[in-house]
Formats: sequence, structure tokens, C-alpha cells
Amino acid sequence: MTAIGQMLLEILRNGWIVLVSAVAAVAALALMSQILKTVSSGIMGANLYVYEAIAAFFGVLLLALFGLLGVPALVQAAQASLPPSAGCGPITELGQLAIMLIGGLAAVRMMLAVFSGVAMTTLGGSGGLSEAMLEAGEAIFGMVIASAALPIATHLLGVC
Amino acid sequence: MFDTVLDKILEISRDAWVFLTGLLVVVAILGGLWYALQGAAGAAFGGGKMTAMAIMGAIGIVIMVMVAFLVIPEMSTMLQGMQPTPPF
Repeated sequence: MTAIGQMLLEILRNGWIVLVSAVAAVAALALMSQILKTVSSGIMGANLYVYEAIAAFFGVLLLALFGLLGVPALVQAAQASLPPSAGCGPITELGQLAIMLIGGLAAVRMMLAVFSGVAMTTLGGSGGLSEAMLEAGEAIFGMVIASAALPIATHLLGVC
Repeated sequence: MFDTVLDKILEISRDAWVFLTGLLVVVAILGGLWYALQGAAGAAFGGGKMTAMAIMGAIGIVIMVMVAFLVIPEMSTMLQGMQPTPPF
């Protein structure tokens, strides 16, 4: 059971590293594209586009900082709040595996939301920041639900 | 496991970066020419405000290009330096 858990966690860690690198690369591209939009709109006298580009510039920067600094802190805090398994034997192992996997899945999901938000902003879409925040909230809510479900499941299973 | 994916993403990002910087240079040159024409026309016809706007626009382009070529690479380096290790 532990070996399978470690294997799954290793896959999630690799995915996390790829997503973090992709967020940094796409954020740099997004910043450059917003500067290009600012210059070209300014030349044409389109003031509204200039305002939009400047707002998107800072939005992308904020989103990237949230992904690189906020998401790991959120995951660590949520993972620390998950209670250790109250059972014994296989139930304990199952509980530990669940805690590790829930944290890993939530972290990768939040980073994926940040990546899609940054990429969407690069392509000119709106709402990237709000969707990333919503995804983060959903992931944390899922972790809280799981933290409540683990002791209940242990109790209902009647082990120990 | 995902190294191939990461390599492809970084390769595409590098190509896009080169394209964006080249496009920015072209747009900045065109903008500079446009403002030079606007300033010259304003000066020839006695349009002081037109000339002033053209000078300000040209200075704005120079500032934006300097931000793009000096500040954004530093920001990108900063973001790459902040890449967190997996928190799980």
C-alpha cells in the first residue's frame, strides 16, 4: 500500500514541477504580450486597450505570485489540518495514504488552475484570476471535507 | 516522467518569446516613425500641442520598450527563482 502511495505521489510531484515551470514561462510571455498590447494600443490611440493591458499585466503578476507563493503555503496548512488516522492496522496505512494523496491532488489541481488562468490571460481571456481562486477554494473545501470524513469512516468501519 | 512535456513547453515558450520581442521591436519602430511624422507635421503647421503629444508618445514608447527589455527578464528570473518544491 505504501509503495503504491509513494509511486502515485512521485507522479504528482513530477506533474507539480512541470506545472510550476510552465507557470513561470507562460507568465513571462504574458507580461511581454501585455507590454506589446500597451505599445500598439498607445500608438493607435486606443486608451481603453491600454488600461486593459496594464490591468492584465498586474493581474498576471499577481496570479503568478499567488501560484508560486500562496499555493504551497495553502497546501501545507491544509495538509497539517488533516487528522491522523484513528484506526489501526490497514486502516492507519489507508488513512496516511489518503492524507498524502488528497494533499498532492489538491496542490496539483490548484497549480493547474493557476496555469490555465495565466494562459487564459495571455490569450486575452478574462476571469483567470477569479477561476483560479475558485479552484483553490474548491480544493481546500475538499480537503476539509476529507478531514471530517476520515474519522467518521474509521468509526463506521468499526475497526479497533 | 513529464520531462518531454516540459521540454516541449519550454521550447514553444522560447520561440514565442523571440517572436514577441521581434514584434515589439517592429511595432516600436513603426510607432516611433509615426510620432516623428506627427511631430514634424505639427511643427510645420504650427500645431504646438500636436508636436508635444508626439514627443510624449515617442518617450512613452521608449519607456515601454525599456520596461519590456530590462524589467520583464528580471521579473521572469525572479519568478523562476521562486519555483517551490512540491509541498506534499
